[in-house]
Amino acid sequence: MHRVFVEKFTPHDIETRHLLADLKESLTLPGLESLRIIQRYEVDGISKDKFDEAAQLILSEPQVDRISPTLEIGANEQAFAIEYLPGQFDQRADSAAQCIQILTGGTRPNVSSSKVIVLRGKISQTEFDAIRSFAINPVDSHEVPLINSSERKSPVAPNDVTILSGFNKSDPAQLRNDLGLAMSAADVAFTQAYFRDQEKRDPSITEIRVLDTYWSDHCRHTTFLSEITNVVFDDENSPVHRAWNAYLETRKKLGRDSKPISLMDIALMGMRELRASGELDNLEESDEVNAASIVVPVTIKQSATSEPTSEEWLVMFKNETHNHPTEIEPFGGAATCLGGCIRDPLSGRSYVYQAMRVTGAGNPLVPFSETLPGKLPQRKICRTAAHGYSSYGNQIGLATGEVAEVYHPGYVAKRLEIGAVVAAAPRSQVFRGKPATGDAILLIGGRTGRDGVGGATGSSKEHTDTALENSAEVQKGDAPTERKIQRLFRNPVLTRKIKVCNDFGAGGVSVAIGEIAPSLLINLDAVPKNTMASTALSSPSPNRKNAWPCASTLAISRISSKKQTAKTSNARMSQMSQTTAALS
Amino acid sequence: MTWRGQKIVDLSREFLDTNGASQSAQIHVCAAHSPFTEAKHVASKSLVEILSDLSTCSRKGLGAMFDASVGAGTVLWPFGGKNQNTAPDAMVAKLPLLEGDTDACTFMAWGFDPFISEKSPFHGAIHAVTESVCKVVAAGGRLKDIRLTFQEYFPKLGNDPKRWGMPFSALLGAYHAQQSLRLAAIGGKDSMSGSFNDLDVPPTLVSFALAPGHASLALSPEFKKPGSEISLIQIPFDDEGLPNFEILKSTAEAIHSLNQEGHFLSLHHIGESGIAAALAKMSFGNDIGAQVDASCDMFAAASFSFLVEHTASSSSAIKGAIPTLITLGHTTETQTLAINGSNYPIATLKDAWQGTLEPVYPTSPSTGLDNTTADLPDFKSTTARRTNSKSIIPKIIIPAFPGTNSEYDSAKSFREAGGDAQILVFRNLGAQHISESIDALAAKIRESQILMFPGGFSAGDEPDGSAKFIATIIRNPKVADAIMDLIHNRDGLILGICNGFQALIKTGLVPYGEIRTPSPESPTLVHNTIGRHISQYVHTRVTSNQSPWLALNAPGDIHTVPVSHGEGRFYADTDVIKQLAASGQIATQYCDANGKPSLDNAFNPNGSAFAIEGITSPCGRVFGKMAHSERAGTRVAKNIPGNKHQPIFEAGIRYFQ
Repeated sequence: MHRVFVEKFTPHDIETRHLLADLKESLTLPGLESLRIIQRYEVDGISKDKFDEAAQLILSEPQVDRISPTLEIGANEQAFAIEYLPGQFDQRADSAAQCIQILTGGTRPNVSSSKVIVLRGKISQTEFDAIRSFAINPVDSHEVPLINSSERKSPVAPNDVTILSGFNKSDPAQLRNDLGLAMSAADVAFTQAYFRDQEKRDPSITEIRVLDTYWSDHCRHTTFLSEITNVVFDDENSPVHRAWNAYLETRKKLGRDSKPISLMDIALMGMRELRASGELDNLEESDEVNAASIVVPVTIKQSATSEPTSEEWLVMFKNETHNHPTEIEPFGGAATCLGGCIRDPLSGRSYVYQAMRVTGAGNPLVPFSETLPGKLPQRKICRTAAHGYSSYGNQIGLATGEVAEVYHPGYVAKRLEIGAVVAAAPRSQVFRGKPATGDAILLIGGRTGRDGVGGATGSSKEHTDTALENSAEVQKGDAPTERKIQRLFRNPVLTRKIKVCNDFGAGGVSVAIGEIAPSLLINLDAVPKNTMASTALSSPSPNRKNAWPCASTLAISRISSKKQTAKTSNARMSQMSQTTAALS
Repeated sequence: MTWRGQKIVDLSREFLDTNGASQSAQIHVCAAHSPFTEAKHVASKSLVEILSDLSTCSRKGLGAMFDASVGAGTVLWPFGGKNQNTAPDAMVAKLPLLEGDTDACTFMAWGFDPFISEKSPFHGAIHAVTESVCKVVAAGGRLKDIRLTFQEYFPKLGNDPKRWGMPFSALLGAYHAQQSLRLAAIGGKDSMSGSFNDLDVPPTLVSFALAPGHASLALSPEFKKPGSEISLIQIPFDDEGLPNFEILKSTAEAIHSLNQEGHFLSLHHIGESGIAAALAKMSFGNDIGAQVDASCDMFAAASFSFLVEHTASSSSAIKGAIPTLITLGHTTETQTLAINGSNYPIATLKDAWQGTLEPVYPTSPSTGLDNTTADLPDFKSTTARRTNSKSIIPKIIIPAFPGTNSEYDSAKSFREAGGDAQILVFRNLGAQHISESIDALAAKIRESQILMFPGGFSAGDEPDGSAKFIATIIRNPKVADAIMDLIHNRDGLILGICNGFQALIKTGLVPYGEIRTPSPESPTLVHNTIGRHISQYVHTRVTSNQSPWLALNAPGDIHTVPVSHGEGRFYADTDVIKQLAASGQIATQYCDANGKPSLDNAFNPNGSAFAIEGITSPCGRVFGKMAHSERAGTRVAKNIPGNKHQPIFEAGIRYFQ
């Protein structure tokens, strides 16, 4: 194993100066004189010569960096090292490994990267601890030893899937608690009845995790689909009461009297009414629900002198939020908000060309000292989320046309992080088909890792001030990989062969593949995994309070985060850079 | 579902599709007063207070982190006018054609105000929908072409009927607005988890309005010229505080027709911050003032009202179509807002508007530059430059690396200039793919006349520095030999823009014209002084036209081009720079609108030494530059004045003809 420490010198130590300013502003640190940030790389699987060459040409630049094989810490300095949690996507390490592979022409080496922060000055233990907890977000990172960090355990093969014997006879509320389920006790009882009466067997833990994900509010709009059984108005002479009557009247007119009333039904009534009246004449209707889609005639001139021609295009647009993940891990949460949003119209085989970002926060100007326990400071959330969303959009090459942020004290409860995108494609490039027996289902995109496991269920649970510790893990975006899918999906030779396509969201394999066709056979062994993924199989997340060995966590993951739901004829899964497609 | 050869999931579709145990809810709708009529009575703030309030103040430091130019289709730049300060009401982009040009575009705008929604979710939703629609109309979209999509975000509802009343009322408000406007939401998402302990998010329904339309009709709000008239279009409210939708619809249609006839210079949806604040924002883009005298309340909320800048000759046509039009005043050359006798210097208002969020989202770096001057001598080449071989249509090879994002725009620019451009995707899935891609790239370079490294974030600008991935590929002996053959033996050209420039400078191709191991003295590109990504238009001047890439320009020519990068600060010793200037290798510099090279952050936003934007190899045939000359086209950035066409692609093609 080879190791090198890389440190930017003045005036190129911009990150260092920013962190120092942040610390001084956020914490009271009279004794802190200065700090250093040192990047540590550990590389396995190449020769010493090649490593030295890589250190010179890839891991550092002589104009801005000084490099050293050892960590030099002065007498009045204290240091700690931060690394991503095992299984988190680390773009720095990943890119370093790829560059080194190109340099050597051999196999891809194992590279890990960590950040050493060195504090200079008179700093008490309490202050040191405060700085550490400021710098380390436990959702994605942890502290590692300054030296001897090479002892990374190789992943242990996970156990086989457990059958939950006695599940059908246990107390539903107790099971819900023990298994850490997002579903209600009533859902558990409903599930018990199914396995007892229809399947006549005990479920596997994976089946329960699949159901918990499939039925989460995140994926299925449990709240929006609840039947509204009784409505009371304080003021029956109000415009809201008149609107209620108008809604009821339209239901009658459209012959939907017998359907249950729900929030979803109200949300869709405007569209149903205008579709029936013929005023909504340019809607592209299909069984797929990737994004809102309209048909637009487009006049094109091939050159300044040529005659214009006319083509039909589909314009798709989509909005979605990543409130919970952005609240707890602003960079990854906001980055994957956009990543997920892009994948909806992308899975609809259109090219996303413009994005909008609308967010809501508490006042970012209030002092850090007023931050609530269990919360990140508003300013930190705002800035880090802006950095995350912009870095994803900037990398993938998506023009952001508007960035807005509203401020209201209520968003201290939880941030609002909305991404909205617009996409288009020639209609001739989009084929809509029906899945049939024997169709192949392909999984296209990045490898599955541990990050994001339990995203759909995690974000559907109640959140209290322990949210930072027991929250669902937040995925890291991988814009270069999603860019590849965009490029691939601009190729009509491919897109015309796709019958149905769904993008991976917080629901992972369970939902994204589960929704592709009514009846499916899924081979989980075929899911490409990243190197750390098998760790997820063996060790249930340390943040989970129960210890069921759950293979389902991997299966239902692939990077994820959040995703709410489909509520109209469009909308559906999202997240990371995977897409499933049924090919004819 | 099988795993390790065993069936681990076997569920019936029927059961899965039940979505779990059926659930029901009860609703209680509390009485609420119209927040619109209430709001009209609380305006007691000064104009400076309104502009510096969090709800109204500038978001430029936030927005400038986001690339808005990639794709070469952005019709309205997010911050318009010569100062890049006035935000349009909607985002507008042309449809993404791979070939050819179109006027077809989309308009998209959002609407939502948490302070209205918390008072009445019903009115809040009506406001959100109507505001999003009005903003699209103000930007040049047609009301009847609008389709909507909603984002709901509410506290956890539990079993409390009054909490359930919030989304219920909001959705009925949105339904009422849809029914009245005859516009439908065809998409939407809900998030019902906005609670933390006993804290709740405000009831949130954000409306997004999208309309297909024509880029030629896109309108921006910044005042365009002094001496034009300013008029007010108002939509009345009824007794319950709801807008008169019939008048709104007919007014919107009239606005569309008038716009088609070319009657508007600027149009702006006013909103909650009121007329005076709207006038201020319209003045910031081009430093054009206004004199306004009218009896209406200049400081009260003015939702669903519009301000129009138009020439006097259009007055009668506009009045004819919109009889309720109120003439407020006119634009002025003086840099003040004169509102009913009070004078406000634009600079003072701008400071108030920009200062609030500066600690959170800075627009300028905290420290200045060391250099005191950016002046370098011009270098004028008079000899005609073209290759000695016979005239051909040159082949351009454009490699797309993992993370490259400007290959389409670059290829399109070369094709439109008459070249035969081809994109080569560099594949990195495994060692085999990398090796094949290196061979393919080397072979393509050998059959091409031009090699172009496009912009992007190869490998995500990692590990900890830009373009290392591309630089590593360039150093590969097969690729390196092909590149050296191209420039030494075959009289070829190389261009690198943004990430491509970073790759050229980090391998030594500029300024040395050969691939070198960098030394501490080598010029390089480092992090912008502001310490974040920058996205804005800059002016660049041609300082040396020695390069064939600048053969169609003369020193002093100014172009207005977008930049979008995190590491674009040109960094080298003064001595090195002076030597480069003497040999004509400093090709382009950031400058002010008058062409003077500048160290001012507004003009040289990454803090480059001597304001250097682009440099060349000694022979001039390798050219690296930061600004995205390929992100130009018809009706792109209509709200940014200047010459946005920089003819480097034509010049590169002409070299071979």
